[in-house]
Amino acid sequence: MLLSKKSLTISSLAENFDMSRPAVSKHIKILDSAGFISIQDIGRERHCTLKQDGFNALHEWLRYFDQFWTSKLKNLENLLNNKLPN
Amino acid sequence: MAASIKHQLFFPHPPRAVWEYLTNAELMELWLMKNNFQPIVGHDFQFRINPVPSLDFDGIVYCKVLEIVPFKKLSYSWKLGPGDGTLNIDSVVRWELHPKDNGTELVLDHGDFVVMENIGIFNSMNEGWRKNMHKIADRLNAPDHATTKA
Repeated sequence: MLLSKKSLTISSLAENFDMSRPAVSKHIKILDSAGFISIQDIGRERHCTLKQDGFNALHEWLRYFDQFWTSKLKNLENLLNNKLPN
Repeated sequence: MAASIKHQLFFPHPPRAVWEYLTNAELMELWLMKNNFQPIVGHDFQFRINPVPSLDFDGIVYCKVLEIVPFKKLSYSWKLGPGDGTLNIDSVVRWELHPKDNGTELVLDHGDFVVMENIGIFNSMNEGWRKNMHKIADRLNAPDHATTKA
């Protein structure tokens, strides 16, 4: 990951995208408030670091829905395959 | 996020039969959840299931039909939250039906997950912002290549 082992300044992050620096800055703020990254001002630059917690929440939900769908699709299977063939 | 849940099942029934179970509210309730679904693009509907307190989920899923290709494709947005009016999980459920010689292959893709802590900002985002946010998140998730500069 770009941010996984170190922090990156917004300028250097912006170099990776076909987007203006202010646009990247706006996205960074959203990711910050969503809990995925944290921002520190060091000198004149803003440094972004990945926050693991945001991704952990996502993993919890993925796990939940994966089990959810497995069980629901099992219901559907039982329902449809217990029908008499046409 | 790039992560998604994928499931695939085969049914020894024609696509039209399987489609009914994906689009008829009463049939859907038999295997999925209580709902007020209608197969109309843009229709807002809800699924109701048991709450999951450990995930801060009140049991109501808010959905909007996004795409319908009769007997082939169905997709709807899938949003939920703690029940205080905020929706902090957004995602998209996509169904595809592929006819096979002796039945139907049903493919489910539940993805495009966005887990937001600050709902005020999320609600003010329009679709364009959402797409860009996914792009940034995917980039943050991508393997660390030596350099991406041309």
